[in-house]
Amino acid sequence: MKRALDPHLIGLFPLAMMSVFFLAPLAFMVVVSFYERDPLGFYNVAFVWDNYAKFFSSFYYTVSMRSLWSSSLGAIVVVLLAFPAMYIIVDMSRRWQLFWVILLLSLMCLSEVIIGFAWLILMSESSGIPKFLGWIGLWEDPRSLSPSFGAMLIGFITLGFSLVALMFYPQMAQRDRSIEEAALTLGTPPLRVFTKVVLPNFWSAIISSVVTMFVYFLGVFVMPTMLGRPQDWNMTVIITDKAVGDANMPLGAALSVIMLVFTLIIIGGLMLASRKKGAAS
Amino acid sequence: MKIRNSITLAASLLTFSGSAALAEEITVSAWGGFFEETLRDVIYPGFTEETGITVRSIAQPADQAWLTQLTNAARAKKAPADLSLVADEVFVRGQSIGLWAELDGGAIPNTKTLLDGFTKSSEDGKLQAVGALSWYTTFVTNTNAVADAPTTWAELWTRDWDGKLGLTSNANSGLMEATALTFFGGYEIMETREGLEKVIAKIAELKPQVQLWYRDEGQFQQSLEAGELVGGLYYHDVTMLSAMDGLPVVSTFPKEGGILGDAYWIVPRDSQNVEAAEKFINYMIRPDVQAKMARNLGTAPVAKRDSMDLTDEEFASVGSTGEPIRSQTHIHLREGDWLSDKYLEMISQ
Repeated sequence: MKRALDPHLIGLFPLAMMSVFFLAPLAFMVVVSFYERDPLGFYNVAFVWDNYAKFFSSFYYTVSMRSLWSSSLGAIVVVLLAFPAMYIIVDMSRRWQLFWVILLLSLMCLSEVIIGFAWLILMSESSGIPKFLGWIGLWEDPRSLSPSFGAMLIGFITLGFSLVALMFYPQMAQRDRSIEEAALTLGTPPLRVFTKVVLPNFWSAIISSVVTMFVYFLGVFVMPTMLGRPQDWNMTVIITDKAVGDANMPLGAALSVIMLVFTLIIIGGLMLASRKKGAAS
Repeated sequence: MKIRNSITLAASLLTFSGSAALAEEITVSAWGGFFEETLRDVIYPGFTEETGITVRSIAQPADQAWLTQLTNAARAKKAPADLSLVADEVFVRGQSIGLWAELDGGAIPNTKTLLDGFTKSSEDGKLQAVGALSWYTTFVTNTNAVADAPTTWAELWTRDWDGKLGLTSNANSGLMEATALTFFGGYEIMETREGLEKVIAKIAELKPQVQLWYRDEGQFQQSLEAGELVGGLYYHDVTMLSAMDGLPVVSTFPKEGGILGDAYWIVPRDSQNVEAAEKFINYMIRPDVQAKMARNLGTAPVAKRDSMDLTDEEFASVGSTGEPIRSQTHIHLREGDWLSDKYLEMISQ
């Protein structure tokens, strides 16, 4: 009995830390979201629904739909790119595998701001890709490619690619290749092996990485402001504008709570769907 | 090693918060970047030389963000700095929740050479803020892309900018006032919400021409200097200094006027160094220091013209003689939330 208890006792420490430093601020955020905004000062302690009402009566609704769209699109694209890339990398020789893994790891060291600035320069008409295309004669009147939705999405992908790829790495490298070999020996075309054998085996990993990336991209601030147009600014940008820029903490808190609820619903839905799929197959 | 590092960090934090007891050091915050660096390197050393009080210079973020930090700090009975620069609107907001310390007017005799209106008091007549500097926001253009500088704000609308304008994403940049003055005959239209909506709709006409609605000034400046943007609204002082460095930018005062903003020195309520802060303010508003700031920072002085030794040429380079455009602070205070929502909605839809 005592043996089973010890690991639990160790677990108590992180649990306590989580409650104090994560759950308590979260609870405070929910409380503040009901406070009354004081236009001249900060906020007054009260219980009002005004901050939530604002969400449904104005363009915040549009902005949140927009952020759900851009982050889900970003998540799907980044997984679509990283999954096949990793599938190819794990079949390489040991040395090349190592090369790619180190490259991906070093990509993760770059901060969001550095990546944003790098793309800003690469997409500028005075020194980047457009200039190069103009120089070799492919683009007559080169224009800056940012700010645009595409530029922002490219920023998202650069940010998430190495993370997703490395998430797939261990499972993919250690997978049982004999199943695929059996299918191939029995005459299944390679593409069909990929869709019917490889993909189903990784289905849950794919879903969970899409969800992870979706949540990650929802909270991204630098990419939309640096590479996106105002029409691409997501809820994180607007919340920062309201809470820090206008010192409207109650509204910022209410918007955050709404985004949190949205996120939980979507994650829950996806998890449920993937579990059902897993149970069915 | 890690533990020792954090102990050192904790110790230095303690020293920082306990520096009040020493009183021979004051912490002064100013808007980060070139501005804070120049004040630290060129202006503050003179004060330390005269008084022996060392100045610890820190960078502060844009107005509202800094006010939020000051408010949070005041709740914890802390002052992040002994002195800060605030714009008019921030001063009023902070005053309404009692964020500022009371200053002793007698300890700041140099206020007599200040221009009128540059001392701010509470309702019961206690001095709370003293003018620090003024700055102009003007029509700036890249000289490689735009041969002839604009003469009126209306040219934002009438010229073809090739979709490469840069404007701030903030409703309080002065663009609304400039628009009201240029197209609606004055600021009166801003008194009602219908009027404000008309002004915003007029600004919305610019959207196809605007590539960047900036919140980060550095990004605008860099893009303008590189020619990614060809024009927009920006600070006169920084643009002048860039032009002096040989960059292809120029700042123009349109005939309706440049947008003038004022900054004040305030002392946060919980500062322990009010006396040293008063000495500092007295130094900073002295006519010769104001002239030095005009020469090095390109800001417009708050001291009376005849008290300073600035030549006509120097004076002309930091401002204009015409009537400036003034931010309608009372409207931004009254309609703040509504206005910032409407403005944000306009640019992001």
